[in-house]
Amino acid sequence: MNIYQPHLMRIREITDETVDTRTLKLEFEDSGLAGQFQFYAGQFGEYSVFGEGESTFCIASPPTRSGYIECSFKATGKVTQALRRLNVGDTVGFRGPYGNHFPLEEMKGHSIVFIAGGIGLAPVRAVIWNVLDLRDQFKDVTIIYGARSVGDLVYKRELEEWGQRKDIKLCLAVDPGGETPEWKGMVARIPTAVEQTVTTAEGNFAVICGPPIMIKFTLPVLEKLGFPGDRIYTTLENRMKCGIGKCGRCNIGPTYVCKDGPVFTATQMRKLPQEF
Amino acid sequence: MNELREVARKLLAEGTVQVVIGYEEGPRGVRPAFITSAEQADKLVFDTRCVQNLAAYLNPRRKQVAQLGKAAVVVKGCDARSVAGMIREKQIERENIVLLAMRCGGVLQNPEKDTELTEETVSVRCAGCTAREPKLFDHLLGELPPAPPVNKSRMEQIAALEKMSMAERRSYWNEQLSRCIRCHACREACPMCFCVKCTAEKTQPQWIDPSSTLQANRAWQTMRVLHQAGRCVDCMECERACPEHLPLGLLARYVADAVERRFEYTASDDPSVAAPIGVYKSDDDEEFIR
Amino acid sequence: MTHKYLSHQGLAALVAELLSAGTRVIAPVRAKDDAGQIDYQLIASYEEAALGVRLPRRSLKEFFLPPTEVLLSYKQTKAGVEITDVPTVAPPQVILGAIPCDVAGLAVVDKVMNWDYRDELWFGRRDATTIVNLLCNIMDATCFCTAVGLGPESFTGSDVMLAPVEGGYLAYLITERGEALLKGHGEEAAADAIAHAEAARKEVRGKVEPNLAAVPAEFSTWLASNFDNPLWKTIALRCHGCGACAAVCPTCHCFDIVDEHISADEGVRRRNWDSCQTSLFTLHASGHNPRGSQSERFRQRIQHKFAIYPSRFGDLLCTGCGRCSRACPGGMDLPTIVSELVALSEAKPEVSGQ
Repeated sequence: MNIYQPHLMRIREITDETVDTRTLKLEFEDSGLAGQFQFYAGQFGEYSVFGEGESTFCIASPPTRSGYIECSFKATGKVTQALRRLNVGDTVGFRGPYGNHFPLEEMKGHSIVFIAGGIGLAPVRAVIWNVLDLRDQFKDVTIIYGARSVGDLVYKRELEEWGQRKDIKLCLAVDPGGETPEWKGMVARIPTAVEQTVTTAEGNFAVICGPPIMIKFTLPVLEKLGFPGDRIYTTLENRMKCGIGKCGRCNIGPTYVCKDGPVFTATQMRKLPQEF
Repeated sequence: MNELREVARKLLAEGTVQVVIGYEEGPRGVRPAFITSAEQADKLVFDTRCVQNLAAYLNPRRKQVAQLGKAAVVVKGCDARSVAGMIREKQIERENIVLLAMRCGGVLQNPEKDTELTEETVSVRCAGCTAREPKLFDHLLGELPPAPPVNKSRMEQIAALEKMSMAERRSYWNEQLSRCIRCHACREACPMCFCVKCTAEKTQPQWIDPSSTLQANRAWQTMRVLHQAGRCVDCMECERACPEHLPLGLLARYVADAVERRFEYTASDDPSVAAPIGVYKSDDDEEFIR
Repeated sequence: MTHKYLSHQGLAALVAELLSAGTRVIAPVRAKDDAGQIDYQLIASYEEAALGVRLPRRSLKEFFLPPTEVLLSYKQTKAGVEITDVPTVAPPQVILGAIPCDVAGLAVVDKVMNWDYRDELWFGRRDATTIVNLLCNIMDATCFCTAVGLGPESFTGSDVMLAPVEGGYLAYLITERGEALLKGHGEEAAADAIAHAEAARKEVRGKVEPNLAAVPAEFSTWLASNFDNPLWKTIALRCHGCGACAAVCPTCHCFDIVDEHISADEGVRRRNWDSCQTSLFTLHASGHNPRGSQSERFRQRIQHKFAIYPSRFGDLLCTGCGRCSRACPGGMDLPTIVSELVALSEAKPEVSGQ
């Protein structure tokens, strides 16, 4: 078996998150493998539709839930459009897990602020559920999630669940103009939502993921609050083919997103050349 | 050459253009030059080694060149036809470029190797040239050199291909095209390949498989050469770029000859003359569709 | 290291024995489309080999990383998808008379192909191959192997090196694999043959050295800290972004992975050569391109070869073969560019784009 050979997986569940974003729940065809498969929150894989090709997404489910993985994707290219055409019971390929991960062990005993925009919640969600599944090992959990409009919010059922839990501080926001008459959350962009929700950085970790512009304007807010750069974590994405450091395209200067990332601290990000 | 340098110097000094794209002595013969100050104008050269079609650098895909500002470009008569093509197809505007057109006495096939123009060394594309005195220009420069000797090798190749049976011809092209590695260097070097998204890169649907299998190679090269029909100026940049040394110039010329026979058209240096690929005529001979 | 003397007839006999045993033999031969040119190709007899004539047009890369290769085939059935792996064990092959820079290129690429994940397709072919290179005496003004830590006499990556001597070759048995290949072939080398070959090894170096001074070790560090230097904006003006350089390069190994249908239910996943010089290489599905202009793409080429790869693996991703310069339709000349950059790095070591 060569390293480009995928595992076969079956689609067990399909959830439409938004008009163009979908979540697939995948189970290994080989039940032996399902028991052995291990990963960490933040890692990614190459998902394939046979005949169409491979596409790179993070594993959106937490490692604390075994036997399956989930991925969330927006149908834009050849492979994601084809993934969207598949039904429950269809077969897809999966190679992974690849890359580094969020430092869950280090975060234990600390409070965590999760910040996500749009489909950027997918990798963050893996960490959130990982933390929630081991809730007593962490201090305060704050989730700040926003999207352009109410219709663009993903994982809506989970947002509702998180909103009802007493051990989570949840702040939902949509951009001005993106609200509906029923909207009860904030109408603000993410940096503002963070400013109004987070009061202290002391001993906290921040996990942030979303569009580059959101990250660009939120990092200064976090730094002003006193979050040290090496306690702010994010994930990067770049076009990839192999996922394992060989095909030569995901590097940002000397840094390979597939091998050195996809998880980076704000301090590491600042050192990267402006090529992403 | 002095006249060329003089004009270039003046254009740069007066600020008419910010860059003169021409030829200069490089480490391995003549190479494209991007002259951005009047003092450097003396670097410019023009002789039989200047095979490159510099019109390629006006292609809007060359962002790094466009950033330099308004350009003057040194063209031979054949290259001027590419410029005309780009104007015709709305890629560039005539008033945004200054054409330094050189009267030309032919160029070498292998400037790395040869120096004298002979029947063997002159470029095959110079045979039967009707553009030695360019017609599209802002400055027409140099004395008209004598007509170059005629290199008949490509005409003979085409005549030989014409004599072949369909099966023989197919087998010839199959053998050539089986070597294509689908790097698309031919397209990238071509002044007339400026599609924002090439058909080879369209994936929904996938018109042409991206791997270098004979079937896909044939589909790719056929598609490209047909899209070049009547647009190609026979500059042979595709063949010079090809790392596998495919006879792409021959293929293009073969199609150009067909266009000439059927439509009485050769790539024109008049931007206002439409090319057959962009024209519908009710009396077109359409026997190939039946 | 041990030596053997191998006469021309002895080498011919070795090749005949290999061929009759079914071993693939790859050697430089006269190109089919142009007798003045040389290509590496499978040979059916020793007479086809054209050893030491001139630099082959393409490197050895394609025999280890083919321009296109199948990674797996799949079949859709009612029950699901069946996939069939491809063999990772390659048939035995011998490369005869390769030039040292091409052979060294394979050893350089080995490192990335073994970076945490071992690429069995690459190593399957590598492990099945015995390499006999030939002391290079076919250099031209574009060669610069001595500037990148190699040389026309370099043993890097080779199992046996042949150096021409009176009546045949002196064979340097570099590896055990090389010794095994020559077992039962050749004779004891005379002292004067060894002396002659050693002199030739020194002499050929001297023919390349004037082309480009050795790239200093600090150059990689300087490049890495000059990522945002304005020089990148103008360095690649004449580059068309065609990627012919990558196609002919012995060390350019970047690839694409694509699926192709054979029928409605069957197809293959393939690995194809790719090049960082094309805009599609890094284009995101969103339309965003981190390397949107040729300046950035050419910077990637130089950075990868002279800073990124050495920082990861120690070796420069360049063997100084000069093919990129010969292949370039735009007159980009790597030795000139490198020497200009090196000069810049030495003139202003304090300049930093950071």
